[in-house]
Amino acid sequence: MARRARTHSRHLAGGGHLSAPSHPGAVLVARDLRKDYPVGGETVHALRGVSLSVGRGEHVAIVGPSGSGKSTLLQLLGGIDTPSAGSVEVLGTRLERLSDRDLTRLRLLRLGFVFQRFHLLPVLTARENVELPMAEAGVKSAERRARALELLEYVGLSGRAGHRATQLSGGEMQRVAIARALANQPAVLLADEPTGELDAATGQEILELFRRLNRDGATLVVVTHDERLAREAGRTVTMFDGRIADR
Amino acid sequence: MTGLGWGIRSLGRHPLRTGLSLAGIAVAAAMLLDMVMLSGGIDKSFGDLLLQRGYQIRITPKGTLPFDTEASLPGARRLVRTLRADPEVATAGAILGSAVYARTPDSLVTLFGYGVQPESQGIYRVMAGADLAPADTTGLLLSAAAAAVLGGARVGDTVMLAGRLDPQIAAAAEDRSLVVRGMVEWLYDYRGQPSVGAVLPVMQRLARQATGDPASLVLVRARADSMVEPLVARLRADYPTLEVNSVVELVAQAKRRLSYFTQLAHVLGAMSLVVTVLLIGTLLTITVNERLGEIATLRAIGIGKATVVSQVLAEGVALTVIGSALGVLLGLATARYLDAILTSFPGLPAAFSFFVPRADTLTQAAVVLLVTGSLAGLYPAWLAARAPIAATLRAEAT
Repeated sequence: MARRARTHSRHLAGGGHLSAPSHPGAVLVARDLRKDYPVGGETVHALRGVSLSVGRGEHVAIVGPSGSGKSTLLQLLGGIDTPSAGSVEVLGTRLERLSDRDLTRLRLLRLGFVFQRFHLLPVLTARENVELPMAEAGVKSAERRARALELLEYVGLSGRAGHRATQLSGGEMQRVAIARALANQPAVLLADEPTGELDAATGQEILELFRRLNRDGATLVVVTHDERLAREAGRTVTMFDGRIADR
Repeated sequence: MTGLGWGIRSLGRHPLRTGLSLAGIAVAAAMLLDMVMLSGGIDKSFGDLLLQRGYQIRITPKGTLPFDTEASLPGARRLVRTLRADPEVATAGAILGSAVYARTPDSLVTLFGYGVQPESQGIYRVMAGADLAPADTTGLLLSAAAAAVLGGARVGDTVMLAGRLDPQIAAAAEDRSLVVRGMVEWLYDYRGQPSVGAVLPVMQRLARQATGDPASLVLVRARADSMVEPLVARLRADYPTLEVNSVVELVAQAKRRLSYFTQLAHVLGAMSLVVTVLLIGTLLTITVNERLGEIATLRAIGIGKATVVSQVLAEGVALTVIGSALGVLLGLATARYLDAILTSFPGLPAAFSFFVPRADTLTQAAVVLLVTGSLAGLYPAWLAARAPIAATLRAEAT
């Protein structure tokens, strides 16, 4: 078991190739993030100046009522969306300075994403889904196959590697999605309502998996409504009306 | 997993929809294939037919086509002797075509008779028995159709042929008793044409054309293909009262006369390509729109636009390849069926073909189809590449 944990820690402690962050020890830094959406001629202020720093190995839960800006914040932190104002740094790299191509590459190599609806490719097997980001990163076939099997074993799905996504249960799909997120050894794992589509028992399994991930060194930022998941975090950030309510 | 393999698997998500689209693409590809075969097939088939025995030049009476009218050129054997003495001519042979009659126990059967010079003939192939000897004035060649109308005549049987009938007294000018030497395939007969052949002098007598040594046409084989054009020019100058044509010229004439076939083929071929583009484009656009969430996720986890685009294009290529493969089978079957209908028209040689598969044109069609299929995927691929990641994921989550 100890050996297994060591092996997986190697996979989870990636992201060391970029320049040092301006906040010592921080892998993710957001400064005065603002995000406005035009909706029907009006401007909706989804984020009204959010600053946040996430240190290496930290487990941060972002909570708050619906519409408070949690998911928007996560998308900005992950470089999926661009802020109206403010900046995001991932391992010292300012995202707004990157081209679309470089930003995509950074998401591939430095960030891992887990979504509420899993979004696995249904035509691929569990192993192939996990291999997908590695293939994009140019990892050789044999290596990515071995690593995918190792990650599937880590999330407890070694027996389901050859099953297509459509043949898996919701909890299994989410665990495959987590393995996929870990494929390129990201610096931070960003999860948006990872238990939102799961029943309580299955959600508990995911919760335990997140606990183990963090224990093995992964940096986690989790948006959630799930109080159990929030309680697992070392720090909880509560959002309200586009702002951080407290820390 | 290659892009193409991924594409094929993606197409399997909606088997019925994909199956219907493939059927549509197969029909369009079959149509394109048939039109490609038709556009180049007629002249190819005509040229091959005329050159089957290697005779590159035809000499006929002025203004006629062989066997088109009863016009004949005089002095056939002397003309042939002169031609055979020409250093640029490998060989030459005269042919006379005429209606003849065979007497059966209870009636007269109408046949088409060929008078040939067996040592230099270019209009039949011996299928059974033996060819005629040049001086065999008692021998006869039969086609399978002629043998059938003669009650199953075989090699060695005797057939009583009657020459041209006198319309006043309904009696034959001449009867000849001939022995069947061989069963042959007449290269220019239409389907089911009952034809017989005898040496030229015998057929001239049966046709009551013994005087003037007539022939319907003379076939000439030049020693080399490069000699054909100058030889034709020289023969035209030497025999201004005769029609001298090379096979190349005859094919060109036929092509001009049948140009509407080519135009029709091009128009229908282009339409089938448009249908293919629309089918593939529509299917992939629907597919991409259905999978925007999946595409946004892929982009979010760092899959590049190029990979997403290539995956959509791969689906287009997969559709094209599978649809085209089915289309080839369908196209060949359709071409065979249509060919059987078209070549059954009276007056067309049975060996003639409208739909001729040619490696070069089929390759061109395949390349055009593949390029078209790929181009058809461009718009949906562009849609996939420009899908807004954050907005799509937000929409998916609600």
